[in-house]
Parts: sequence; structure tokens; C-alpha cells
Amino acid sequence: MNAPPDDRALRALMASYQAGRFEAFDELYPLVAPVVRRFAMGRLRDMGRAEDIVQETFLQMHRARRTYDPAYPLMPWVLAIARHCWLMELRRASRRPTSDVDIEDVPLSVRSGAESHEARVDVHRALTEVPDGQREALVAHHVWGLSFHEIGAQLGITGAAAKLRSSRGMRRLRNLLGRGGA
Amino acid sequence: MTGDQMANDATTHDVDRGLPGALRARLAADFEVVEPLSRPPVRALGLIPFAVLTLVAAPWWFEPRSDLARLGWTHAWGLSMTQSMAGLLMVAVALREAVPGRAWMPASLAAWFAAPIVLVVVVTLSTFDVSPIGVRGGGAIGAVIGAMCFAGSLATALPGAVLSAVLAARAYPTRPALTGLLGGLGAGLMADAGWRLFCHFSEPTHVLTGHLGGVLAAGLCGALVSRRLHGRRNPL
Repeated sequence: MNAPPDDRALRALMASYQAGRFEAFDELYPLVAPVVRRFAMGRLRDMGRAEDIVQETFLQMHRARRTYDPAYPLMPWVLAIARHCWLMELRRASRRPTSDVDIEDVPLSVRSGAESHEARVDVHRALTEVPDGQREALVAHHVWGLSFHEIGAQLGITGAAAKLRSSRGMRRLRNLLGRGGA
Repeated sequence: MTGDQMANDATTHDVDRGLPGALRARLAADFEVVEPLSRPPVRALGLIPFAVLTLVAAPWWFEPRSDLARLGWTHAWGLSMTQSMAGLLMVAVALREAVPGRAWMPASLAAWFAAPIVLVVVVTLSTFDVSPIGVRGGGAIGAVIGAMCFAGSLATALPGAVLSAVLAARAYPTRPALTGLLGGLGAGLMADAGWRLFCHFSEPTHVLTGHLGGVLAAGLCGALVSRRLHGRRNPL
């Protein structure tokens, strides 16, 4: 466990950054980033997203740098910004569709053996050419087995619209595979 | 560089030697020397012209209330100046709320929200105690006069609420609606400080609906403006 950063040094570095010494942020980063990372990891339990929060926090610290008063400790200021970034991330996550399907992760049941591998590659390749919205609905229904109602709820559309997307996606997939375009 | 890419960099977390390259480039692109913002009470002083203007505008433009002599300096100008200064204090409170790490705790926030209401109630009761003047002519006329005072207080407060929200947005409000609400209440107090010197009625029913209603509505407007400004600066 690292020792907590020295508050006087942190204040001096931030004041120096405000005054125009860009390198001060380079020195500040190793002192502050681990604390922000711990904060973000404690809430998100996801290293990738926590790292995003760390970077976003530093970006926002830069934007809000004129609000820092060196008469006060730095870390409450930093953590308030980090908390804001985390809340904004939660809001963003709640608004975006949650069915970002990585095509490489889609389990496809096709014939076994070498032919199976070839067919799998073809289908994966064809899927990449299906428009995003149609592919999400198609995979969610035919691969993951979700109902159109559930898919609609995930994508923020009606069940009927999800069904339409899925059937259009399937038609496009068949065309791509049928004409050997995959 | 995305978070996932950084997370995959096995040693990143152990050796944070400096800013990641992509982030560094982004920050360097608009780096310049900045002057730290003045402290919130100092910045709130920017609303002094608004406070003075609203204090004298209504009684000067229309005419002062008819019982001004009976109220005396203390209950007329004294209480209005107190209310106006309380409004400035509320704006300072809002501007402090807009600084990261200096946000108010829930109990303090509750006290700050209660303070303008308590103040207007105290001013109303003490004024009524010295000079009780009710609205004659029944409920309909009372409602019309109440609505006029509500609209007058609110309209006078709006520029101050907007100005306060703009000042707060120059900092970094992490709870923009709360910040705007505090600033709007402050502007409402300042506006009503002048409006009460023009209004001829001291009946608590009238003052607490028309005037206090205007103050509270100014708070809501401040919250809306502040959220709007925040949304523009931080689109999702």
C-alpha cells in the first residue's frame, strides 16, 4: 500500500500547474492517479472503466483548474471531480444500449470439423456487414435467445421494432451468405 | 488511449510515471496559464449592483408603500437591506457549492434552503405587527394582487438568478440544480427586498403566498437555468 501523498507537495504542484508549468501535471499524475483509481475501482469493479474514470478525472481537473484554491487541500477537490465523472459515467451507461455484441464472441452452432470452422468464419464475416442495429437484434434473438420484448427494452425500442430489425438483419445475412459475399 | 487499452498494459498501475501520452497531448492542446477564481464571497459581490437596483427600483419607479412612516426606518429599509444582504449571502453559498470539494453537507444545505423561508416569515410577521394592512375586497381581488406581487418579485429576480447561475457555471458545479436553486433563492430575496417596499399590504397570507412564492419560484428558475448551462457544457 502506498503512503498517502503529501498534501503540501500536491498543493504546490497544482498551483504550479495553474501558473503555467505543464510538467507539474506529469508529477501530479503518479501521486493522484492511484487514489482516483482506487476510488473508481471501489465503485465500478471494472479495471477498464476505472481507468477511463482516471483519465476523465484528469481531463476535468485540467478544465476546472481555475476553481482550485491552493489554500485548501487538493485531494477533496480531486475526489469531488472524480465522483462527478463517475456519476456522469453512470448516467451515460444508463442511456446507451447495453447490447454491444462483440461478433467474435458470438457462439455459432454450425457443422463440426474443418467445414465448421470455415462456415463459422464466413458467418462472422457476414455479420460484420449487417448494420449495427439489425445485428444487435439478430444476435440477441437468434444466438442469445432473448425475446423481442426483452431486446426492445435493452435497445430502447418497441418489441415490434426489435422484431423488424432482427428479420431484416437475418434477410441481409442470408443474402450475404447466399451470394458468397461473406 | 482507452481505459481497456490502459488496463491491458500490465504495468501501468504500478508505475504511473506521468500522464498517458494521449491524455497529455489533449491537455497540452489547450494549456494556458489560468488565474484562480476569487473566493465565493468575493465573487458574490458582483451582484451588488443588482441588489442595490432591485432594492430601490420598485419603490422609486412606482411609489413607496403608504405606511412607510409608520414602519420607520428599521422595519422598512432596515429589514429590506437585511433581506438583500441575506440574498447576497445565498449567492455566495451557491458559488461555494459550485467549487469541487467545497460542496455543502446535507444538513447545511437543508439549513440554507430553510433560511430564506424563515427570514421572509420573520420579516412578514414583524412588519405586520407594526403595521397590519390587509387586502380589502375579498378573495378574488386578493388573488389578483397576490399574483401581481408574485409575478413582480419573480420577474425582478430572474436577471439575478441567471447571473448567479452564470457565475456558478464559470466554476465547476457538480450539482448544478442545487447550485442554481441556492442562487435563485438569493436573487429572489434581493428582488423581494425592494418589492416589499412598494407593496402596500402586510397581511401574512398575501406576503407568504405572493412574495415568498415569488422567491421560491426564482429558486426553481435558477435551478432550471443552471441545469441548462451545465447540460451545454457537459453534453452526455
